[in-house]
Amino acid sequence: MAKKVRTYRQVLSLALVLVVSAAACGGGGDALGDSEAAGDEIVISGSSTVEPISVAVAESFRDINPNVQVAVSGPGTGDGFKLFCEGETDISDASRQIKDEEKVNCEANGISYVELKVGVDGIAVITSSENQALSCLSFADLYALVGPESTGFGSWAEAQGLATELGSSFAFEDSDLVISAPGTESGTYDSFIEIVLEDLADERGHEATTRPDYSSAADDNVIIETVAINPTSFGWVGFAFADHAEGTKLVDISVDPDGDCVAATAETIASNEYPISRDLFIYVNTDNAASKAGLVEFVDHYMGFGLDEAVANVGYVILDDGNREATRSAWSNR
Amino acid sequence: MTTQPWTVSDLQGSPRRQRRETAIRRLVFAATVTSVLVSGLILYSLAFEAITFMREVDWSTTWGQLGWFPRRGIFDLPTIMVATVSVTVIAMAVAGPLGLAAAIYLSEYAPSRVRTVLKPTLEVMAGIPSVVLGYFALRFIAPQLVGNLFSTAAPANLLAAGVGVGLLIIPLMASLSEDALTAVPHSLRQASAGLGARKVTTTTNVVIPAAVSGLTAAGIVAASRAVGETMVVFIAGGAADSVIKSYNPLDPGMTMTAAMASVASGTDSIAGQGQAFQSLFFVGLLLFIMTMLLNVLADKFVRRFRQRY
Amino acid sequence: MASPSVRKRLPATTFNLTRRMDVKGRVFEVALLMAVAVTLGAVAALISQVFFDAWPVLSGRFGQFLTSGLGSRPEISGIAQGLRGTLYLCFIVAVVAFPLGIGSAIYLEQYAKPGRLTRFVDLNIRNLAGVPSVVYGILGLTVFVKGPFVGAITGGRTPLAAGLTLSALVLPLVIIASVEAIRSVPQELIEAGYGVGATQSEVIRHHVLPYAIPGILTGTLLSMARAAGEAAPLILVGTTTGFLTNIPAWWDVGQVRERFTAMPIIITSWVRQPETGFKVEGAAAAIIVLMLVVVMLNSVAIVLRSRFEKRRQG
Repeated sequence: MAKKVRTYRQVLSLALVLVVSAAACGGGGDALGDSEAAGDEIVISGSSTVEPISVAVAESFRDINPNVQVAVSGPGTGDGFKLFCEGETDISDASRQIKDEEKVNCEANGISYVELKVGVDGIAVITSSENQALSCLSFADLYALVGPESTGFGSWAEAQGLATELGSSFAFEDSDLVISAPGTESGTYDSFIEIVLEDLADERGHEATTRPDYSSAADDNVIIETVAINPTSFGWVGFAFADHAEGTKLVDISVDPDGDCVAATAETIASNEYPISRDLFIYVNTDNAASKAGLVEFVDHYMGFGLDEAVANVGYVILDDGNREATRSAWSNR
Repeated sequence: MTTQPWTVSDLQGSPRRQRRETAIRRLVFAATVTSVLVSGLILYSLAFEAITFMREVDWSTTWGQLGWFPRRGIFDLPTIMVATVSVTVIAMAVAGPLGLAAAIYLSEYAPSRVRTVLKPTLEVMAGIPSVVLGYFALRFIAPQLVGNLFSTAAPANLLAAGVGVGLLIIPLMASLSEDALTAVPHSLRQASAGLGARKVTTTTNVVIPAAVSGLTAAGIVAASRAVGETMVVFIAGGAADSVIKSYNPLDPGMTMTAAMASVASGTDSIAGQGQAFQSLFFVGLLLFIMTMLLNVLADKFVRRFRQRY
Repeated sequence: MASPSVRKRLPATTFNLTRRMDVKGRVFEVALLMAVAVTLGAVAALISQVFFDAWPVLSGRFGQFLTSGLGSRPEISGIAQGLRGTLYLCFIVAVVAFPLGIGSAIYLEQYAKPGRLTRFVDLNIRNLAGVPSVVYGILGLTVFVKGPFVGAITGGRTPLAAGLTLSALVLPLVIIASVEAIRSVPQELIEAGYGVGATQSEVIRHHVLPYAIPGILTGTLLSMARAAGEAAPLILVGTTTGFLTNIPAWWDVGQVRERFTAMPIIITSWVRQPETGFKVEGAAAAIIVLMLVVVMLNSVAIVLRSRFEKRRQG
């Protein structure tokens, strides 16, 4: 009999320990009773540039309708489209327009969508705030540093020859060239090539791509971080990220070697004075919009608060009135 | 009352009890089968996509390249394998002496009061998750230790990550080494004392040589753990999605494990075809083989050491 | 093999018959002590660095930190979702690995006939214990997330799939600890049970298990602590590193089949942000919460084990 009691006590203490440790694993914090997660789920993925806008809209949407669960991630525009065209996401954030092969992929999988322009962003060329040697670079300099012919350049000075050949008069210092920039999955990468490198590459008969040997990161925050802590670093990233960041310095850009150097600011991007700027988009799966009321509500909120406020809050450029109306009618006429 | 002779089945209890016995026996057998099942599933998970990768990859991209750039189809294996070896060597350089010293102290010198405090402390240290060590390596080891000693070091580098991994495996090294040392029969120590040896002589000339197989096994197991460690390098190694080849631990680097984690996290929830994603499985297979070989080797040493006593 | 706590340790001076100053001995002892001091110093440095970094959060907004979800700015971000994720992961590990581990240990120690098959299983378990955690992550991704049948049950990248992955990871540890515990049961006790006519399962249930429970529990708790701290398998299984609006109620069991995040993942993703609010303060505060959990589990396990050892000797 005593044995049985001892066994029960053991089992009971075992159960008690398990419950206590399970609760312990959860740690402190009180229960948030209200959200029941009974509503729709919205999955947003794609550009890490557009991600902050979607996050801002989702955060504010949580106050309007807490029952709709929104998940946002930013693996890159290219990856985002891959997921979107397989039907895995409801909204695809994009810092460039959808490419033809991606359109084909979507069609093949029966995904119909609507393209909504949400804002304008510049691509900031950045270096460490400790780097005194640099204040303005031209497209020729950028090509010399990171273009297809620059593979293997370990220091800034190695790019001198190529830059001078292209007409630049900038004197590069002999210091380590540490590059951190988006990789091929990123729309920012594509835009940078299209705007900065493509013409020069075509002229010289090379493929329009960057050199492969640099530390790429899909996460813009990692890029900022790496550029900030290396004193002679170089990179490019969405303007809003660079603007907010500590430890990095934005470099003025001129299109031609002797042209005017334009600093990247909200005004110069909005007025198109700053040469490296691109439109930001979201692509919404219209079939899902038809079946998920929560998704429609969310995108409506995006069309309102998102276009009017969130874009600017995050640091990008709000579309002008005409473009905003165009986007809103594109959504209502989907 | 029957007077028939008793048979064995009478002594074995009721059929209901028998059935319960068989049922329980089958149940625990099934539980055991799961461990074999897990092994099989691991091999299956690795092999499937790894074989596809091996069939389709252009093998020239796996050797002599500028670095590990999976998204551009450049899978330079020496880049990540040398990084794994570097980190392991650095980690063992830290954990080997420190862990062994702690073990010798615990086993031969520590008064029992110190022992009752020190041993649990080491065990709690063993429980520190690797992400915490990664944070410490990034926040403290990289700037204060490595940065102050080597001015050319990158802000996050393999040396800092290696030291972090070393700290992580000290408790493992210490506890396994201590097991090896305490397994040496006390009679050996007493015999040595009987011959007039000092304590330090006994320890270094008698106890440690006697425990050498166990200590070697401990070192190999610790090294295997260092090879398989991911998060410390992922956080503090300095590379994100891709890395340029470098044999200098003061540069950013990416071990095999960190490369796998990068590929998996860069494409957050990718529907996952594409060679870059398959490279994850291939590297995983290589890693699995490496750690398996190390573990088998350690096992051989342990077997030798067990047989002596 | 005499255990050190039983034998009387001979003091160092006993061996010094000539009474000359034992330089080599002293130097050696000092070197050992310095090594131990360095090790302990490293741990102390780690703990102080973490507390120092986390202080703004701990002193200012710890309550809010524990109850808020992920956010775009550090000031409004918290680990509530991570806590829930980690809680459910620990729970699933306990529920899955614990019975499977004990069952395997019971079979191996009590039922299995020694032979090639048993040795193979034994070797297999020891190999599994040494497999890196990323490889378990691959297992989880292939079988539990994307697997043909199982994937539908788990619902994809959910706590259920991650929990099963972590259970596979800790299973060898639970088995090894349980086997140790069962082996320590005195043979006389078992034979006495058979002697009074108990069946094998009755002997196990009434004699072996009660005796071995503290050791088994120690193993289970240590495994849960290990599972709580793992990040690599979670990355492979696709735990959300981005942004999640939903903070489910604690008792909402449905969350095991929805997108989730967990403490180690939050730490990893915050450490890689440039804002110090995330990278330093947030990550450090999250680390403190995680360490509290892990250290608590480990301490309970260690205390249990010392009780178990005392009983063994007594």
